[in-house]
Amino acid sequence: MAGTMTVCQKELADHIGSKRYIVLFALIIVLSTLSAYQGAEYIRNNPQAGFIAIFSGAQFGFSFASLMVFFGPIIGLALGFDTINKERTSGSLSVLLSQPIYRDSVINGKFLAGTAALSLLTVSTTGIMCGVAIPVLGFGPALEDVSRIALFTLLTVLYLAFWMALGLLYSTATKKTTTSILMSVSTWLVFSIVITIVASLVANTIAPVQMPRMPTGEGFTPGGGFNQTTPGGFNRTQIEGTQEYREQIVRYSTIQTNIQRISPAYLYNEASSSILGIIGGGFGFIGQQGGLQGRTPFRALELTQGLMGTWPQITAIAVYLVVCFAASYMLFLRLEIRPGG
Amino acid sequence: MSQLMIQTQELTKHYGDVKAVDHLDLTVHEGEIFGFLGPNGAGKTTTLLMLMGLTMPTSGTATVGGYDIIEDSREVRKIAGMLPEGAGYYEDLTARQNLNYIGQLNDIQIAEREKRTEELLEAVGLAKWADTKVEKFSRGMKQRLGIAEVVIKKPKIAFFDEPTIGLDPQGTKEVRDMMIRLNKEQDLTIFVSSHLLHEVQQTCRRVGFIRRGKLVAADTIENLSNKLASGEKMTIEFELSKTSPDLIREIQAINGVTSVDQENGKLYVHMEQDRSKEVSETITKHDTTILMMKPKEYSLEEVFLRYYEEED
Repeated sequence: MAGTMTVCQKELADHIGSKRYIVLFALIIVLSTLSAYQGAEYIRNNPQAGFIAIFSGAQFGFSFASLMVFFGPIIGLALGFDTINKERTSGSLSVLLSQPIYRDSVINGKFLAGTAALSLLTVSTTGIMCGVAIPVLGFGPALEDVSRIALFTLLTVLYLAFWMALGLLYSTATKKTTTSILMSVSTWLVFSIVITIVASLVANTIAPVQMPRMPTGEGFTPGGGFNQTTPGGFNRTQIEGTQEYREQIVRYSTIQTNIQRISPAYLYNEASSSILGIIGGGFGFIGQQGGLQGRTPFRALELTQGLMGTWPQITAIAVYLVVCFAASYMLFLRLEIRPGG
Repeated sequence: MSQLMIQTQELTKHYGDVKAVDHLDLTVHEGEIFGFLGPNGAGKTTTLLMLMGLTMPTSGTATVGGYDIIEDSREVRKIAGMLPEGAGYYEDLTARQNLNYIGQLNDIQIAEREKRTEELLEAVGLAKWADTKVEKFSRGMKQRLGIAEVVIKKPKIAFFDEPTIGLDPQGTKEVRDMMIRLNKEQDLTIFVSSHLLHEVQQTCRRVGFIRRGKLVAADTIENLSNKLASGEKMTIEFELSKTSPDLIREIQAINGVTSVDQENGKLYVHMEQDRSKEVSETITKHDTTILMMKPKEYSLEEVFLRYYEEED
């Protein structure tokens, strides 16, 4: 345990002092301050929205939550992708491992340090956002808002830690940092963008949605109005068509959503929507990028209700995290130091 | 001297089909500087990595300072320090921070750690650079820092893997002197691997030869070179005022001379036994002055190289 704490301490100091971390921190502070202003603006225009909307409301672009869905992986991966292989290439790993510590102290310490660095980043960002929003709005968070913010922060740390653990896994599995960074970027693209396309494609193949077929000619205007109906049984067919259309859409989106749920980014999107009190988070045709913006945040969901609903999502992210860490742990313990690294 | 510091029994390591180390039986005594010699890829580093518990042997056992390298690997690392080949440091940290980190990992209490850090930085000549980031260090400075990192835990045995590789003559000398000093002053057992024989010749009393993972010889340098050099032919190098085909023919005719070569105006006389007296008499008879005459010695390096070739 002493070894773990020593490694953790040193790694945390390394993270916080590193240019990489400072750049990421600066970037996220700028973006989150902007999104806090946007959120505050949104609340002013939508008086029914509570304080919590500073995280989800977006007047002009990204809300903080959608920002995290998309850029969170970059932050996590950036802190993880070269954890082990950098030391392997530089030759410091064999020096480190020839000290009287257990081998798992190294990986545990590094993981803890990364998580601590991510927590620091998330907590301070959330703090700054509240600090920016309160004077702008003139009121602070209510008690329930505070618990929502706390949960949202925890969820975000969990999500970022997952991406860091994935980076850690790649850095343990590969020898070169160039390989692991490439794998990290690919995974991010797959889980953020590719999966949305694939989900749509698969859903389209299995359950294609056909536009309701209208008899052309009389009664149908391309503008989509049903009000200019003609006499006869036409109206009835139309309604049947619409119902069938609705069912098709439901099937389509169920398939699509379930495929997208493979992606931790999507799971985080859904979970954060619920925690922030946005109804129907992630359901529908919306991809990650636009997932939270433009939707009206209204507090139809009680916090407990929301939590119950997204418990599977939160658990899934945690499982992903554990799997990644366990795999890197096993790999690292079996890692053979060979001549020349 | 009598106590065994390292003892390996049939230590073997396979990487796939390649036998990196093949049934190695080796002993190193307490307090000695042992040279572990062999060409590149002979299995020197793999042996060291196994002894330090960084890689698992395929079969066989070994003890370092009485501790089993598999069962008590952590105990081994408490009493043994290693400077791996191409050792890396935390470039963003200063020399003092690097050294302090290694001290922390060895569970040295803070007061003692700080004391040792200062002493060692002084001893390896880095006191002036203590607060400079290691990324600015030259290779020689890094190597000296590496030695300090090995010594900070006050080990009983230190492994140095190709410690002078890539260093300039000055750096090489410093590292070598440091090893000798540590051995003398702190009675530290030193196990140094190298592919440079003359390197080992100057520091080690005993050497072991490893070739293709097998130990081919282990003894003191004198014994080894005597053993290997016996039965060697000898060659004498002459520089003469003039030469003639007659003279060369006559020298060749001397009993015991095998051949005569001319190269760069010099004469090389190869012979089975020492016939230098006869040869020089013949030369003087031909009204030729001997400007220079010396026996051409085979360096140990050459002897060992030949030894390798014979084995192939």
